[in-house]
Amino acid sequence: MDILQVIISGLLLGGVYAIFAAGLNTIFGVMRIINLAHGELMMLGAYVTFAFYDGWGINPLITLPISAVLLFGLGLLFQQFLIERVVGQPLLSSLLLTFGLSTLLQGIALNRFTANFRSVPFLSGSWGIGELSLSRSRLLAFVVALAVTGLVYLFLQRSRFGKAIRATSQQPDVAEVCGVDVRQVRLMTFALGAALAAIAGSLVAMIFSIYPEMGRMFIGKAFAIIVLGGLGSFGGAFAGALVLGVGETLAAYWTDTQIAQGVSYAALVLVLLLRPSGFFGVKE
Amino acid sequence: MSVGYSGSSSPTVPGRVPARSSGGRVSPGGDAVVETPLPPAGDGEREAGTPRVVTRPLPAWERHTGAIYGVLLAVAVVAMAFLPMNANDYTVSLAITVLLTICLASSWNLISGFTGYVSFGHAGFFGIGAYVGGLLIYHGAATWYVAVLAGGLATALVAAVIGYPTLRLRGPYFAVAMLGLTELASIIVTAWDSVTFGGSGVFLPILYERSERLTNYYAMLVLAVVVAVVSYAVATSRFGLRLLAIRDDEGAARAMGINTTAHKLGAFVLSSFFPGAAGAIYARHTGYIDPPAFFAVIWSIRAIATSMLGGQGTVIGPILGAVVLTLVSEEVWSRDPNAYQIIFGGLIVLVVLFMPGGFVALLQRVGWLPRSRRL
Repeated sequence: MDILQVIISGLLLGGVYAIFAAGLNTIFGVMRIINLAHGELMMLGAYVTFAFYDGWGINPLITLPISAVLLFGLGLLFQQFLIERVVGQPLLSSLLLTFGLSTLLQGIALNRFTANFRSVPFLSGSWGIGELSLSRSRLLAFVVALAVTGLVYLFLQRSRFGKAIRATSQQPDVAEVCGVDVRQVRLMTFALGAALAAIAGSLVAMIFSIYPEMGRMFIGKAFAIIVLGGLGSFGGAFAGALVLGVGETLAAYWTDTQIAQGVSYAALVLVLLLRPSGFFGVKE
Repeated sequence: MSVGYSGSSSPTVPGRVPARSSGGRVSPGGDAVVETPLPPAGDGEREAGTPRVVTRPLPAWERHTGAIYGVLLAVAVVAMAFLPMNANDYTVSLAITVLLTICLASSWNLISGFTGYVSFGHAGFFGIGAYVGGLLIYHGAATWYVAVLAGGLATALVAAVIGYPTLRLRGPYFAVAMLGLTELASIIVTAWDSVTFGGSGVFLPILYERSERLTNYYAMLVLAVVVAVVSYAVATSRFGLRLLAIRDDEGAARAMGINTTAHKLGAFVLSSFFPGAAGAIYARHTGYIDPPAFFAVIWSIRAIATSMLGGQGTVIGPILGAVVLTLVSEEVWSRDPNAYQIIFGGLIVLVVLFMPGGFVALLQRVGWLPRSRRL
């Protein structure tokens, strides 16, 4: 029964990972850019929720959309003025640019919010079902993550703009020839990714402590998830996130949290070496 | 006769041949590239402009770059050798940081500047070298310079083992794999506390004598000189030319008969020796090693940002970048540590956006430096 408890706990965590990785994955798919600042976008999203909760005691579920909208706007600005300029440039430019942004945002957060650990103690306690106990905040975070991931999936699959995003990530030249405004697609994709990171951040704030350097920890996990599921595969990344969430909690259960930290990196390296296209990915 | 070109609409990395260039040709000596730049591939709406091709003969002194560098190096080395006699410990420590940054940046440049494979592994090599060298010193198993060499050789060995599978990965996959491996190395070192003392770190013997402390400075100086000479040797050799070919188009390079795997691996192993040895020296200098400090991704970033600031794929670029970046960093840090991260991050953003080729490309655009592979 213990093990079932651990697995469920891991699955719930995986939902939050999924929503974070989805943004990073879509951005990579459309622009072939690894956004090293994605963790910091998440951190900012978490702090928005924290600020509203701390200042006015507003329910994090209400601030979640506010946080998403704010980061969507920030994403638009970043893409318009910074990221757009390195699209199609050598890999190094975008890596260094987004790393610079990540350092900059961390520095600002350190100055503004200090390095203290913060948390949004909302919905503590757990529900018991039989012998299982489900952390209420984790369950809520999972449900929200699932809903948002589902919405984004529908958006990508069904809507006209979603199709444009998918077309651009498959073949930007052809998409453009077919009348897709590729520049606008890139703009919206980055903003959408930032908004998803903000939602993930807000959910994380309900579960864990937040601090300005939290992004570093999550971005490593996100790489592992994306590689596990296959770059550019939305469903694959979702499955990868759940697998990683369970893997990590199991490793923490069997060994210790130190080694559990290594699970994502070990998975990342192994999958890259053995099966670079991931388990659901499309071969490039 | 060699000719250089300058002034296309998009900033070009020095010596880089665009993937689609018509009539791109390299003269037998590999001195200059004559080419007609085409608009960048794949970006219809990106402003192409009309490429303004200016051909300008390389200056006569370009042939003597080796001799000029030799003289500059000799002057610099003599000056650096006498520096500790008129300087306090703080200045010497700052100079060690400059030399360390030169080692990291120039060696990173060997793999990433020349082949285009962006490596985030330098932090990992730095940490491994520090631990191998540091533990040897801690246990008194080796004299310090043997320990430093061992640190470098250990990382070269690690690079040979991990390079073979990882260098098959292209572009972003390689970058992410090296990031993951560095984190993994850090976690292994932390978890393996029977050997590495885990998170509590290793305290190395304190060096009480100034002359003893200065050995770190001179060791770092020697390492920096070696990496500079190796960089020049690689840049002017056929080996270096083949690495550049891999950077510009790996498929074409292979089709030309270059054993790309062997060349990438060779450059990777060569490049990894220096961060390892430098890590061991730096461990001895600081006297304390722990995983978060020595495996921090910032060591890789430092190498990358420095090379980019100076001019990646050139010999002088990383050295120039190391001196400027370290001194500016130190100044900013001493004035306001809180603002440091913001300024450092902002600086990186500005360099990427406005100076992608670094100082060298800037000077080339102004016409003060020729577009030569020997730089």
